[in-house]
Amino acid sequence: MKDMMNNVNILSKALDGLWLRNKAINQNISNANTPNYKRLEVNFEDRLKSALNDTGLKLKTTHEKHIGAVKSVDEIEPSIQVDRSYAYRFDGNNVDIDVEAANLAKNAIMYNAVINQITSEFNKIKSVINEGSR
Amino acid sequence: MGLFDSININASALTAEKTRIDVISKNIANANTTRTTGGLPYRRQLTVFEESKKSTFDSYLDKYTNKFNGNGVKVSRIIEDDSPFKMKYEPGHPDADENGYVLMPNVDVVREMVDLIDAQRAYDANITAINTTKTMMMNALEIGGR
Repeated sequence: MKDMMNNVNILSKALDGLWLRNKAINQNISNANTPNYKRLEVNFEDRLKSALNDTGLKLKTTHEKHIGAVKSVDEIEPSIQVDRSYAYRFDGNNVDIDVEAANLAKNAIMYNAVINQITSEFNKIKSVINEGSR
Repeated sequence: MGLFDSININASALTAEKTRIDVISKNIANANTTRTTGGLPYRRQLTVFEESKKSTFDSYLDKYTNKFNGNGVKVSRIIEDDSPFKMKYEPGHPDADENGYVLMPNVDVVREMVDLIDAQRAYDANITAINTTKTMMMNALEIGGR
């Protein structure tokens, strides 16, 4: 699939992942004082990267554990993991509010950067359409 | 999966932290109340938080398909602190026993103040998160514009 909107499609997948991560961070921040709450983590970069790097044959998969098939960009879903690694608090909660606040800021910057990329991508397409006739 | 889910998650935490602040205020206000309707001194109250999850059919399906299922936080209940009352020697007080001791509430004002700051910080963190989400959404609206 190498059409005009290919780059936009990849970037919008990244936006989806970043938006979900924002939601997970919000969930972590709102549960900063909930006993026994374990923080959520969202990962999508690895999957996106492997889909982008692999130029070989892609097979349509319908299950997470299908063997040997690299997913195409369209099929990528971000993964959500519960981080059960450690809790340094007595109430069993492992949310560090400072870490979450930093992640929130990082994530928002990344999100805005990807939005700028998409906007410039659209501007390129627009200029190809409009300026070609001059 | 709604558009404003992110903001609603933090809004639930604002409500919960506000409730906590209300309860702390009640504790501080009643730090010297020696007689309540039951005849005993005031007992310190505590808010218990619980992770809030959607309980629709979709949410059970989401659990098995590795989708996000979170709805913020909720106050599950408000409990009473069962620790013993403090004794204070104050003969002449209307509630004093025959030895001159008065049962005082089990509220430690300093501790309540610390909890109050903790709740306020958590509240602020959620306000920041809402603003960040808002900015992200406003930026997303710019796509395709100009």
